[in-house]
Amino acid sequence: MTTLVEIRDLRKTYQTGSVRFEALRGISLDVEEGDFAAIMGQSGSGKSTLLHITGGLDQPTAGSVRVGGTMLQAMSERELALFRRAQVGFVFQFFNLIENLNVRANVELPALLKGGQSRRDIHRRCSFLLERLGIADQANKYPWELSGGQQQRVAIARALINQPALLLADEPTGNLDSASGEEVLNILRQFNQQGQTILMVTHAASAAAQADYIFFIRDGLLVDQMPGGDEKAIAQRLADLR
Amino acid sequence: MHAIWQKIWADLLHRRLVSLLILGTIAAAAALLTLALITLFNLEAPYDKSHAELNGAHLWLHFKPGRVRAMDIRQIESLPQVTESTGRQFSYTTSVRFNQQRVPVSLRVIPPEPPRVNRLRLLSGRLLNPGEDEVLISRDLRDIYHLGPGDQLEILRADGRRVTLPIVGVVYDPMYDNYRSSLPPYAYLSEDLLASLFPDKSTWEWSLGLRLADPEAVQTVLEQIEAMRTVTFIASHTDWRDVRSSAIFDAQMAFIFLSAFSFFAILATVLIVVSIVSSTVLAQIKQIGILKAVGFTGQQVLGVYVGQYALLSLLGTILGFLLGLGLAPLPLKTVTASLNTAYRPPFNPWTMLIVFVAVPGITMLAAMTASARGARVNTIQAIAVGGETLLKKSFWLARVLERAGAPMPLVLGVNDVFVKPLRSILAGINLTLGVMGVVFGLALSGTIRVYRQNPALLGLVYDAIVTREQSSDDRARRLIAQAPGVEAFYGEYLVEAQTLDGRLLKLRAVEGDMEAFPFHILEGRFFQPGSSEALAGKGLLDWLGLKVGDSLTLVLDKDDGPQATWVIVGEYPEPADAGQRLMVSLSSVRPLLKHTDPSTYYLKLSPSADPQAIRAFLSPRRESDLNFTLMEDVIPSTVIYLQVAIFALAGILIGIAMVNILIMSLLSAQEKLRVVGILKTVGMTPWQVIFMFITSASFLGMLSIAAGVPAGLVLTRNLLNLMADFTGFGQISVSVGKAALLALLPFTLFVSVLGSFLPARWAAKVYIVHVLRKE
Repeated sequence: MTTLVEIRDLRKTYQTGSVRFEALRGISLDVEEGDFAAIMGQSGSGKSTLLHITGGLDQPTAGSVRVGGTMLQAMSERELALFRRAQVGFVFQFFNLIENLNVRANVELPALLKGGQSRRDIHRRCSFLLERLGIADQANKYPWELSGGQQQRVAIARALINQPALLLADEPTGNLDSASGEEVLNILRQFNQQGQTILMVTHAASAAAQADYIFFIRDGLLVDQMPGGDEKAIAQRLADLR
Repeated sequence: MHAIWQKIWADLLHRRLVSLLILGTIAAAAALLTLALITLFNLEAPYDKSHAELNGAHLWLHFKPGRVRAMDIRQIESLPQVTESTGRQFSYTTSVRFNQQRVPVSLRVIPPEPPRVNRLRLLSGRLLNPGEDEVLISRDLRDIYHLGPGDQLEILRADGRRVTLPIVGVVYDPMYDNYRSSLPPYAYLSEDLLASLFPDKSTWEWSLGLRLADPEAVQTVLEQIEAMRTVTFIASHTDWRDVRSSAIFDAQMAFIFLSAFSFFAILATVLIVVSIVSSTVLAQIKQIGILKAVGFTGQQVLGVYVGQYALLSLLGTILGFLLGLGLAPLPLKTVTASLNTAYRPPFNPWTMLIVFVAVPGITMLAAMTASARGARVNTIQAIAVGGETLLKKSFWLARVLERAGAPMPLVLGVNDVFVKPLRSILAGINLTLGVMGVVFGLALSGTIRVYRQNPALLGLVYDAIVTREQSSDDRARRLIAQAPGVEAFYGEYLVEAQTLDGRLLKLRAVEGDMEAFPFHILEGRFFQPGSSEALAGKGLLDWLGLKVGDSLTLVLDKDDGPQATWVIVGEYPEPADAGQRLMVSLSSVRPLLKHTDPSTYYLKLSPSADPQAIRAFLSPRRESDLNFTLMEDVIPSTVIYLQVAIFALAGILIGIAMVNILIMSLLSAQEKLRVVGILKTVGMTPWQVIFMFITSASFLGMLSIAAGVPAGLVLTRNLLNLMADFTGFGQISVSVGKAALLALLPFTLFVSVLGSFLPARWAAKVYIVHVLRKE
């Protein structure tokens, strides 16, 4: 197995006026290619910050992040943008679709930004993903015409359109009812089974149970790691962290 | 109430830049309105001030030589309306020579002591020294022939000897009408000097200036004077109100332009305010919901927004009003400078009232309309959903561009224009106003160039003028026909005439190679030579309420002179007497009057003609009386001044438009932070974000060009024709260079890019994590 994500002694400090807040206090972890990893922790533990830095949305204060052999902390704004469009896909809790673009346009957007592919190929890839996600019949609809579950599937399609090495999901089921949430997790699991590496932040044990292994974070530190699968055990571990 | 004030201050301080920009725009609009009103209210003031300072006459009578007696003068001075008189004034009309030119001049006697009535104002140099042989000149000689103190006039005395007189000063005469009058320019000298030049006092002309108890009673007094004798003894008269109209002509044009531009500025301000308030309300719908949830009533929400704009508009109006007061002397400067008087318009409470009602009133009304929407918002929905985009579907053009393979930032930029259609329309109209202002300036510039190249459009169809004094008409014609470089010419005899109801006017009775001159016929056709057909100036048709096809009967030469009727077959741009002249065939006048030999000849020269050679041919000897004048610089310099003023005002409008684009982009950037965050997340680079914002503004810029160019041309045509009507000139055909119009496209795009660049850069730098966390 090859290590896709390599994080070493990662630190992130926020300074607002005289108030200093250490969100990450030296985290080190690896995610192998093809893995489905979850990050769990209480609100404010630093799990989203870790995800954002891993995806090149934020820069660490110290430490290093290497994704697919690329060191992120030395990159410029533009290089990070190019990295994001090529190497990672994001799925957010609140979907973050663009309201006045229809489903197809939302999904194709990262591919069109990336360029290097014909429109036909992009169109074909988009149709394939929409088909896989069961929303092919919604292609010409606008986000506000879809249910939450459908919107999240669109977000997943958008995240995968450029066939990224890493899919980052931040509470992907947090804004969904349980049935929709389960569907989304199943979809993520299916893509993972086909080789897609996934790093997911969640505070739901049922979601984390889908992952191959789970990192537990508390107060900006990696405090534990366990395999996925056993929802009860995960919930217990999470409770123990409080 | 305290809560409302607290919220108002918080909002204003939170959006410092936007607040400052709105403040500046309101101040600009208030300043322009103040300037326009002050100009309107004080159009006549500089002349009135100057007239009062110089105790100017209200009526000036020019008597027919030999017809007036000393007792007539005394009788006129004793009329009840007459309060003061200049006393009998002597003058003598002759030609003076300077710089190889001969120009007819009225030599006017001034007493050793300054007269009580109609004093002269010294513009440069000094007044006459007693006993010295020297002259003063009127400012027309200075303006037209560039003469001044230190120059000399050469005069042919009655005994045939030439004398050279030094010019020691330039003066302004409050009763010399430089526009409507056909009098020659004035030169002033002592009675002794005039007597030494032209000793035969019976050849001197008499005139009289009167001050009246009621300055508006000029016509009544004139009728009383004319009724005094059975014979006509008044050759012409000057009404002080006509002189005033001429003096304020420039200021009236300035007023027309200022009014148009202040209207634009206020419109732009309204658009900005409506646009900003709408956007602010929309952006703060969630906050309004929270305000209402904590107890704000709809009225209080309205108060928060109206209060913000009330504060800004009051402050902006105060600043603009003060700026307008400071700049107020500028539009009147051409008038005051020519009168050599300093005039600072006084404080006028009406100006203040209008400005302080109009500007804050319009601003607050706009704010009220927009924020009423915020006040009506459903609290629960506002808190839950917040503001929604107005247009939820993508714009068809964006879809077309996307299918055509256009870059995504371009597609998204075009699409963004239609996400907030109302605001885009408002910003677009604003930019359109700026474009219209520039088109106005360009069209005026182009029109002036065309008229300069083709003076026929101004009614000046000739290249040069020759006037004769003692030489016979035959000799003059023979010489002109033989002169090198003269292609064609026609002669003109100017006939004094009056309508049957007593309105005085002049007829141009012409004869010669008329077909060789490019007369610009505005309507109808040229008259048939030898027929009883006539061309009429636009001013004459308007004045007498006539149209092409009508007949006009006139009494020629004097009250009891012969009558003749002409059919008006065409309209032409008459440059003199406010267009109130008629042009007829000389042969239609010849049978009616004794002396009809032309004294003025209009020449068409070949392109290679040498004016110096023609002048030398026509006047080989110094005492020759054929005066040759080349027509140059037919566009008055005041028009150039106006052109500069228009470009300056257009600059203000462009500035306002740019502020609007800036505000629009700023608000758009604020509202779109989430979308920008998403786009950056999926890989949009900072430059692509900037490009997207600039695309929106540029697209608006292009739409503004499409709307602003035709609208600007229509505006220019209407404004210029309003002015042309005002001067009795007729219709003006507007010309504008295609290259200049094409250059407008990159210019407007530049303005749009400049206005949107800063907000775009700010949006491009947005910290994605913060934006997405606000969810």
